[in-house]
Amino acid sequence: MTATISGIPDAPAEDRLAFAIAAIARQSPDRVAIVAGAGGDDRRRSVTYAALAAAVTGLEAGLEAVRPVGVVARATAPEALVAIAAACGRQHVPVAFLAEDSRDLVGELRDWVTLDDSLALPARAPQAARREFETVPPHVVVATSGTSGPPKLVQHSWDSLLAAARLAEQWHGLGWLLVYDATRWAGIQVWVQALLTGGTLVVPSSRDPDVVARALAQEQVAIVPATPTLLRRLLTSADRTLLAKASPARITLGGEAADGPLLEQSQAVFPQAKITQVYATTELGEVFRVADGRPGFPAAWLGKSLPGGVRLSTRRDGELLVQLSRDTAEVGTGDLVERRGDRFEFTGRRSDVIVVGGAKVYPKRVEEILRRVPGIAETRVYGLPSAITGELVAAEIVLSDPLPEATTPDQVRAAALAVCRQALEPHSVPRVLDIVKRIATTAAGRTPRRPSVAATH
Amino acid sequence: MNASVSAAVTGAIRTVLHDTGRDATSIEPSMLLSADLGLDSLDLAQTIVLLERSLGVDPFRAAPGASPRPAIRTVSDLITIYSSALTPS
Repeated sequence: MTATISGIPDAPAEDRLAFAIAAIARQSPDRVAIVAGAGGDDRRRSVTYAALAAAVTGLEAGLEAVRPVGVVARATAPEALVAIAAACGRQHVPVAFLAEDSRDLVGELRDWVTLDDSLALPARAPQAARREFETVPPHVVVATSGTSGPPKLVQHSWDSLLAAARLAEQWHGLGWLLVYDATRWAGIQVWVQALLTGGTLVVPSSRDPDVVARALAQEQVAIVPATPTLLRRLLTSADRTLLAKASPARITLGGEAADGPLLEQSQAVFPQAKITQVYATTELGEVFRVADGRPGFPAAWLGKSLPGGVRLSTRRDGELLVQLSRDTAEVGTGDLVERRGDRFEFTGRRSDVIVVGGAKVYPKRVEEILRRVPGIAETRVYGLPSAITGELVAAEIVLSDPLPEATTPDQVRAAALAVCRQALEPHSVPRVLDIVKRIATTAAGRTPRRPSVAATH
Repeated sequence: MNASVSAAVTGAIRTVLHDTGRDATSIEPSMLLSADLGLDSLDLAQTIVLLERSLGVDPFRAAPGASPRPAIRTVSDLITIYSSALTPS
């Protein structure tokens, strides 16, 4: 079933979300816009386009009366976040989304009005917070994920938020999985995309692999945007029979580099899915996409002008450089690449490199070797500070369930160390190898490279 | 105190040797870490991480301005430095 939304692309960017929701609500009021708590036991609830449109209209009336200088969205329910974004956009009110770990940044927005799940505005905004004239263009403020420093607030235009949205008819009326944090850039883009195109946003009740797999199957999710870490956890830890019932048409990987085994495994579990890897950075936005099912990108791309005028090159140390167009400067991405045959593959972030006694270790490479060991389902490699060698390579492994026949956890651990000793230089072999129940992920769904998470147990 | 520290130190060295595919022979306090046990700087770094986990201290991550630490040559040197780090001053 598809919904055709005519005329939406012509509206100003900030108006489009509210227009689209209203248009779809008129055409098919009972169409489900959002399924929250999906895949869980009893907390599933669905929100129709009619209900969502009503929430947007109600909030718009309130915003018109109160005229706040800005709105801080503190809601946790996805339908409330969507309503706040849509209403603020059409009312030209700047809106900020603050994730859990960046709530202390709210001080920077002290005159702004806060909205929670109730969508209740104060009767009157404080005088200082009233917006008499339109002094700033409508925009969206989000917190960075803090991978390369403490979270900070970044201002985006509605145009840049909508730039990556796919509006062609083939994208209409689909089910979109939201495993990203709904208040971060990657998550906001997923729900904006889903609701602009009359789709259904499916929000699992948790990131637990079984819950996500059940949500995929029960809600007939078509599009799965995820980080490689989240997808790997789903494929290695979710119940096989649940996974077998899911059949996404597309998997869009971003946020981290995907390795060959993950791409092969994804294709084996979801044979009908088209798997796309999106390469994007916070500063540059989307740079390129690769959809050939292989890791990295074709070596032939280097130095050529790609669609959209993008040019790729590398620094001597292997850092990928991007020039978005002829008129812009080359920008370092912090991502390291290495030539392997006819491809350039990502070896990791420059800031993730572990330095052991002056020698560099790429954690991603060690993880790839560990993942090949029978009995290991998931792994994470990180640097542990050492007074003797500067840093030491440490690893966490999650055992596969069930373990290969007649194997004990100790044997898997010993085999892992033996494989590493054979495949790696001595300084790259993990010196601390812990068996853990699960690998922590960062708020952005990536594999953390700092010891803090591991050091607590 | 000294006996438990001594057991922790020999236990950590044994784990390091085992993890790196070497046979753990008997470990005596008088043994030289490098010449007798074959421990290199990576092995020592691993030993210190293991001891921080079992004893809760890392005497090598000294506060700035602390007196220079004595040379660590034998198993007994390690036992001494951990014992004094664990003794309230």
